[in-house]
Amino acid sequence: MRILVAEDDRETAEFIRRGLRELGHEILVSRNGADALHVLSGEPIDVAIIDRMLPKLDGISVVRRVRAAGVEAPVLFLTALGRIEDRVDGLEAGADDYLVKPFAFPELAARVNALGRRKALQEDSTRLQHGRIVLDLLKRKVVRDGDPVQLQPREFRILEELVREEGKIVTRTMLLERVWNYHFDPQTNIVETQMSRLRSKLNEGGKADAIETVRGIGYRMADHA
Amino acid sequence: MPSWRSSAAYRIALVNFTAFALGLAVLGTVIFKAMHISFTSQLDAMLTEEAEDLANEYRSGGERELRRTIAERQSGSSRSRMLYAVFAPGGRRIAGGLNTPRPELGVHSIMFVDPREGADSARGVAVDLSPDERLLVAADADWIERIDRTVIAYFAIAFGSACALGLAGALFLARYLRRRLQSISRAAEAIIGGNVRMRMPIGDRRDEFDNLALTLNRMLDRIEGLLENLRQVSSDVAHDLRTPLARLRTRLEEGALKAANGESTAAVIEESIGNVDEVLSLFAAILRIAEVEAGQTRRYFKAVDLSDLLTELAESYAPAIEDGGRTLQSSMETAVAVEGDRELLAQAVINLVENAQRHTPRGSSIRLTLTSSATTAFVQVTDDGPGVPARELGSMPKRFSRLETSRSTPGYGLGLNLVRAVAKLHDGRLVLKNADPGLSAVIELPKAEQLAVAADDRIPDLSKKEGKTASA
Repeated sequence: MRILVAEDDRETAEFIRRGLRELGHEILVSRNGADALHVLSGEPIDVAIIDRMLPKLDGISVVRRVRAAGVEAPVLFLTALGRIEDRVDGLEAGADDYLVKPFAFPELAARVNALGRRKALQEDSTRLQHGRIVLDLLKRKVVRDGDPVQLQPREFRILEELVREEGKIVTRTMLLERVWNYHFDPQTNIVETQMSRLRSKLNEGGKADAIETVRGIGYRMADHA
Repeated sequence: MPSWRSSAAYRIALVNFTAFALGLAVLGTVIFKAMHISFTSQLDAMLTEEAEDLANEYRSGGERELRRTIAERQSGSSRSRMLYAVFAPGGRRIAGGLNTPRPELGVHSIMFVDPREGADSARGVAVDLSPDERLLVAADADWIERIDRTVIAYFAIAFGSACALGLAGALFLARYLRRRLQSISRAAEAIIGGNVRMRMPIGDRRDEFDNLALTLNRMLDRIEGLLENLRQVSSDVAHDLRTPLARLRTRLEEGALKAANGESTAAVIEESIGNVDEVLSLFAAILRIAEVEAGQTRRYFKAVDLSDLLTELAESYAPAIEDGGRTLQSSMETAVAVEGDRELLAQAVINLVENAQRHTPRGSSIRLTLTSSATTAFVQVTDDGPGVPARELGSMPKRFSRLETSRSTPGYGLGLNLVRAVAKLHDGRLVLKNADPGLSAVIELPKAEQLAVAADDRIPDLSKKEGKTASA
């Protein structure tokens, strides 16, 4: 993917640039808001990572302007401000996701991946499939190897998120945000607990584990599922 | 002494004094005038009586008798001797020794020539004896003038003394006011200078100054309390940061050693990141509380279906709590809504549930219930654990307050603080009480008018879907 990184802090920009390049992406770096606006308006960009506080033009204004100009590239806001109003303002300006500094790089990478594929997944489908696992989004039914699996609504939502990412990592924080709508980190491992219940239901009858745990980061659908 | 312009006390005293002196002057003038008028009219009455007397003599005895009576009276050496003159039509004096021109009729002041003193003033009464002759009876007004002078002299002395006393009183009052104010000002200066325990002096009279000092002292107590709290919080933050930072330091030294020996440092680095995350989560908690207390998030308040929120929450937490060896039971009243921030409310209730889980032994049971009265929703989290000593219940929601007994369990004592801040943000409150056994924490929130609002909220979504089908 072609990724724009708009970040005025040299060290952070370099850290992101190196990390994403290792994952095979092409990176453009802007040091200020005006430059970021220029790049976004003129070049095809798959995902933009924009710091909220940029010199010359702040991140919110950059997003507002490119959205007003009809640029639809997904935007991930990076910010040192973790306040609720910062998040709401950022999303209202037209950002698609929001990550508070400091962040773990795998978290950023997973979110960039998810944003990059959002375009491809935009048409509403009523059926999702990963290997031999099939989800019926209308009837809320899951079938693995032809056998129906009985899931609680929340377990279904988790599986849906994992399958939508097509084997890419979904982080624990992403699950908390998307399934629970919690933008804070509870001390209790509610994600782990739900995940272990989902797994045991999916793997019932001695089937191979359909979900892979990426230690310290998150989960993804196993290739063999 | 400072200029009176710059001192309100002196200004007040001087203005008062000036008013007092003016009042005194007006009073003196009125008394003087009244006295003067009264003496003059007394003299006028005497003169009129004398003139009528002489007119009667003239009528009964003719001009000869009049001349005789006048001569007789002029020769008397009475202290208040009167002067007489009779005038012919041409203005010529034809009798009496009063040397003055022919006067107009009536009572008035006249000028005459005294054989001894020269020109002098007098009061005179002129009456007509016949169409031709006019009689003037006059008396020297010297004695009235003498009385006037005496009165003025005494009044001047009295006025001077009164003014001196008044001025002294005014200056005394001014100094008193200044002294009272300066004692407050000195205390304030001492506090500014760093003596935060200093208080305003309070007299025994309980007057306005003492009441002001009492109010200021209450304010100072409050400020000192807040400062103390701030100091406590800062030192607690520093203290709580030391532990994970000290651990991090040990880890990193260990890592450096391993790296030097060519061993793998991956595990050490991972653990170090864990230590840093611990510090970051402490900061996140502090910042979140500050954000909630600032009240900015009210802007995003919406109708929140509390029943729905808590049911979801109980569903999410029950398995995790069961895995931890405890049970979570719940009972929710349906369709209870509040105006608020869904996420903050969730975080507050989660904090209570996690608290209950953290401070109870395995095998305990935790109950999450939602009930409501006509106006209030009650979210209650009760456990059957060891509970909290009654005397410590009050201090629990304070920042960094951790019971000594719970120092060994994780957490920074910020959980209840956030819960209380969230309750307050929603115009509600947090009530902690003993459940015997165990602890009961209740968040009381004002109910929203409600699901009507929530339904309105859904309308845009419905219309969006309709729009999609229409365009498809």
